[in-house]
Amino acid sequence: MRRERVFHPPNENEAVVMAPLRGVTVNDRTLWIILLGFIGLGIYAWVYQFVNGLGVTGMNRPVYWGVYLTNFVFFIGLAHSGTFISAILRLADAEWRKPLTRAAEAITLFSLPFGAVSIIIDMGRPERLLNMLIYGRFQSPLLWDLTAVSLYLFSSVVFFYLSLLPDIALCRDRLTDVPNWQRKMYRILALGWEGSSEQYHRLERVLDGMAIFMSLLVVTVHTVVSWVFGMTIQPGWHTTIIGPFFLLGAIFSGTSAVVIVLAILRRIYNLKDALPISLFNSLRKLLIVFALGWIYMMIAEYLSVFYGNIPEEMEVFWQKFTGEFASIFWLMTLLVFVIPLLIFIFRGKDSIGWMVTAAVLVNIGMWLERYVVIIPTETRPRLLYELVQGSYTPTWIEWAITISLFAGMILLYAVFTRFFPIVPLWETAESLEAKSEMDKARQRLFKFGAKFGSGFKSKSGD
Amino acid sequence: MSIGELIVDFFTSPGPGGVVVIIVIVLAAVIYTRLTRWIIQGGEEKTRYRKYR
Repeated sequence: MRRERVFHPPNENEAVVMAPLRGVTVNDRTLWIILLGFIGLGIYAWVYQFVNGLGVTGMNRPVYWGVYLTNFVFFIGLAHSGTFISAILRLADAEWRKPLTRAAEAITLFSLPFGAVSIIIDMGRPERLLNMLIYGRFQSPLLWDLTAVSLYLFSSVVFFYLSLLPDIALCRDRLTDVPNWQRKMYRILALGWEGSSEQYHRLERVLDGMAIFMSLLVVTVHTVVSWVFGMTIQPGWHTTIIGPFFLLGAIFSGTSAVVIVLAILRRIYNLKDALPISLFNSLRKLLIVFALGWIYMMIAEYLSVFYGNIPEEMEVFWQKFTGEFASIFWLMTLLVFVIPLLIFIFRGKDSIGWMVTAAVLVNIGMWLERYVVIIPTETRPRLLYELVQGSYTPTWIEWAITISLFAGMILLYAVFTRFFPIVPLWETAESLEAKSEMDKARQRLFKFGAKFGSGFKSKSGD
Repeated sequence: MSIGELIVDFFTSPGPGGVVVIIVIVLAAVIYTRLTRWIIQGGEEKTRYRKYR
């Protein structure tokens, strides 16, 4: 009897957003099989590495961290998109974010596990992972990392699930022509959601509260990731700016990833109305700010090092600017900053194709940036740089595992979009009554915050 | 043992760090479970949306 009184806020895009959930196509299956093939290759490479040891990788003395750590930092960075779009923009009351929140949160959810897995892959003896808990010492930044990333992953899952809850209930009530197991899955996951005003009110309160917590967490997580490097005294890493530099780069690449994902979803699932071009224009403005912020951080970091002129720092510095890693370094600068910024400013407006091009370049560049932060320091470590000049070339094992990690993330994303609405239908509902109820619920949340906010608005003449 | 020694021991001894990680995760699990239940329980109250049935 519950179904008869379930309320779902009306949404004009409901039919088109729900359409992909009604069946898996041959193209989907083909894509999934191809991606599974890549994952299989990665598993084979990892087993080979596990059996033969880390000697089969390009890592050696003194280069102990290579592509795996690059992947770790990159995936964790990518994961910041969801929290930034969903939590931080939610707190800022940016209404335009609503249609793209779930697509962004899904990037967080599906990239974080691969960041965490990268660490396990990097361990020569992964069966010793539990030792971190059994013998963990809190003076170690690695343990800070374990704490922050675990909590972030867990919180992201909950945040994502709660914001999905009304739409799962919608699937439960609307998708009656799908296989039994799928209906059962919706029924279980919906947790008996009835769509009452009180439930919406409570959901909004919890999501708003969690948004504050998630915003704090997103800053903490990537700062702690950077401290794994920064808390050593290695040249190129031991800087106070490394935390905010990593964080800004993460949000930059994550937001760029959102552009790519939105464009793909819009095209494949015919979501032109649900994901209007104005979203890309809004993201474009954000990305311009991030690009400028990123180059500011980069100049601040390298100029300080250059003026300090400390011998061991300069060894790494010149490796990046004119030495062995110069080609990667300058290519990275072009891909992350120069070309994307020109595209965003002169070509990006009202052009999804150009926006996607720039976003892809940013993400390739950002992966290279992680590489060029880690490897040059490893090859010229403090104290040893006069005795040893290390070298590092990744082997096929590392490339195969890297490809499989990306394939895994894409596979999870692709499967998710076939079973759950990728545009939040309840949040984008146009029902005025329902919307006003939700807005009222939000206003009741933080009375102090609401008062403060209204004071600010009245002053600004809004 | 002074407070200072206790703090130093906490940071440098093998074990307590792992306990902190577990406590944080378990605490988060408890809080999130209770919040989810609290949201769902909102459906048991009278609602104005019933007129939509």
